[in-house]
Amino acid sequence: MSLVSGPGRAGETSGSLPDELQLTIEPHVRYIQSLDSRRDELEYWLTEHLRLNGLYWGLMALHLMGRPDALPRDETINFVLSCQHENGGFGAAPGHDAHMLYTVSAVQILAMIDALDELERRGKGRALVGSYIAGLQNTRTGTFAGDEFGEEDTRFLYGALNALSLLHMMDAVNVNKAVDYIVSCANFDGGYGVSPGAESHSGQIFTCLAALSIAKRIDLVDVDKLGRWLSERQVECGGLNGRPEKAEDVCYSWWVASSLAMIGRLHWIDGDKLKEFILRCQVCSVSADNSTEINARQDTKMGGFADRPGDMVDVFHTAFGLGGLSLLSFPDLEEVDPV
Amino acid sequence: MASHGVPRPSTITTKDEQARLKEEKDIKDYKTLVDLTSEREYSLEVLELTSKLLTKNPEYYTIWNVRRRLLTYGLFSKPSDSSLPSMELPSTSQTDTTITSSADSSSSSSQATPPSQNSRMTGKTGTTLEAIKNDLAFLVPLLMGWPKCYWIWNYRLWLLQQAKERLDMEIARAMWTQELGLVGKMLTRDNRNFHGWGYRRKIVAELESPELGGSSMVETEFEYTTKMFSASLSNFSALHTRSKLIPKLLNERRSDDGARLRFLTNEFDLIAKALWTDAYNQSAWFYHEYLMTNLLEPVRQSTITPNMSSTERSAYVVLQIENVKEMLEGEEECKWIYNALLGNTMALWQLEERSPMSDELQDCKTWLAELRKLDPLRRGRWDDLEKEFRGF
Ligand SMILES: [Zn+2]
Repeated sequence: MSLVSGPGRAGETSGSLPDELQLTIEPHVRYIQSLDSRRDELEYWLTEHLRLNGLYWGLMALHLMGRPDALPRDETINFVLSCQHENGGFGAAPGHDAHMLYTVSAVQILAMIDALDELERRGKGRALVGSYIAGLQNTRTGTFAGDEFGEEDTRFLYGALNALSLLHMMDAVNVNKAVDYIVSCANFDGGYGVSPGAESHSGQIFTCLAALSIAKRIDLVDVDKLGRWLSERQVECGGLNGRPEKAEDVCYSWWVASSLAMIGRLHWIDGDKLKEFILRCQVCSVSADNSTEINARQDTKMGGFADRPGDMVDVFHTAFGLGGLSLLSFPDLEEVDPV
Repeated sequence: MASHGVPRPSTITTKDEQARLKEEKDIKDYKTLVDLTSEREYSLEVLELTSKLLTKNPEYYTIWNVRRRLLTYGLFSKPSDSSLPSMELPSTSQTDTTITSSADSSSSSSQATPPSQNSRMTGKTGTTLEAIKNDLAFLVPLLMGWPKCYWIWNYRLWLLQQAKERLDMEIARAMWTQELGLVGKMLTRDNRNFHGWGYRRKIVAELESPELGGSSMVETEFEYTTKMFSASLSNFSALHTRSKLIPKLLNERRSDDGARLRFLTNEFDLIAKALWTDAYNQSAWFYHEYLMTNLLEPVRQSTITPNMSSTERSAYVVLQIENVKEMLEGEEECKWIYNALLGNTMALWQLEERSPMSDELQDCKTWLAELRKLDPLRRGRWDDLEKEFRGF
């Protein structure tokens, strides 16, 4: 899910949807803007290890809503660079150790706001970031570790290829070996797991397909088999789950739907019902306008998306909810690249 | 920040003054704890601070790393293979409980830690063993409370790796073996826990490795999947694991063609029983499809019965189709049955390299119509299937 591109798709309208299932952009923009002003909440401090990812998800959401300037660009760049370590990698926040996950987020953020040059100007250089990532490849198997302690996961493999392609440094790693490794993670249902032998999981399928897309080897996928398994992730309420017999969730709606899009099978699920499900997961201040006592503080709580209807919203599900809607050509949203 | 299953309060309430003050204090306490837990020295005191902080917030991955460094460079008794940290440690005070770092203890025996200090940590069996044991015990309640936290599982694996590298094989092996009990408990609590199944796979791989004096555990692990599947017939994780063990199992048993065929039939029986119990068990249907794939793949490529001839395969597929048809009785509303019938019948044409017979084509069209009716969510899939029929 690197970058949004191009103008919003025209076409289908949401006119047939009932009022509560409309998308109103402004509350969601305000919700994201409010996130960094919540220092009086314990949760803010308990989630410091996700700060850089949070920024990425927030920006992704804002770009999808056509409001890329809703967060100050300079501050964003300063914060990202303040997370960088001497070895080129990035931590989740200043003082947090470098890790693949946050290094990828950093590169994605800088790419999204067209600021990769800042790595040369004020950071430690593009090449050092690339070599940090490349250094985490397991030269024997082709997969990637998250950090020096060696946890391996196809999430890191995808992240590495994604960031390196944004940095134009794919040559720094052995792409063929990485591709072979993904193939070795395939299962009888056509899906992929975190490592060879691991059960298929929609999040992992997304990372493997996206990595194969970046490596231009999507031809290696058993498209029909995987498409059937993925399409069965849609449950009665329209939402999608991550594995058989699990509950639906907005974030899985994104992993599954974008995976289906990457293998050309998005039409194998019911897009309208999925849209309705995602919209039911949003909190939108419009519905609470009647209440007289909404002060500014509460107002910031009146936006965003949750994992499923009635749950707490968070920036992660907000980004992927909007990503899902964009994938399904929702009007008023920018088009998203499934990778 | 990524919350799952946390219900939203039904009404928006302003926090009262008391709640606000409490949150303010909690934040202050938490931030103080974070500030205290700096890597200023590799001491037991700091280790305890990390314990406190991680118990509050096990997602704080950097603190797990701090803990690794504390053990590696400070608290373990033997020097590690990995290079020592380049950073200079600030000199530690005389009164604290610092255990001399491994760099010191290995470079000069004259600087050996006084026994009185050492004994606070080591007991009889040595610092490393005690440190690892204590840490493994520290993690258990955290795993129970946060069974989906990647960092805890990873840290635990790292600890066990340290045991393998630093302790006698027998002792290390006993530790790894104990993990099977722990992960068994975790999987009883949540039989689909993704981390639990992955962890089990890693533990088994280590226990099988020559470094731990191991041998194959494929038979007992296969039995474990049978047990887990019997306890819950829709446990896709158990069936997945089964599919991964089968090739190895048959090779190790040196099964001949006859034994392989019997094995396949047993698997079909097992899954048929589950499907007769609940025809809507999608996990069982996916596994059924996997077993069918074994028949439908080219000779020598299939994993279970590689030497079965094309004629034998055809006959077996036809038999399976008949079995599935019988399930329709009383379950006419079950889309999975139509789905299997359709898929397997079409695969049979491919296997026999022929066009469909007219009655088969008629059947398929009827089944497809049922699928359209019963499963409108996936109508795009049915549209594509219909296009395939038009080719005939
Ligand atoms: Zn979710």
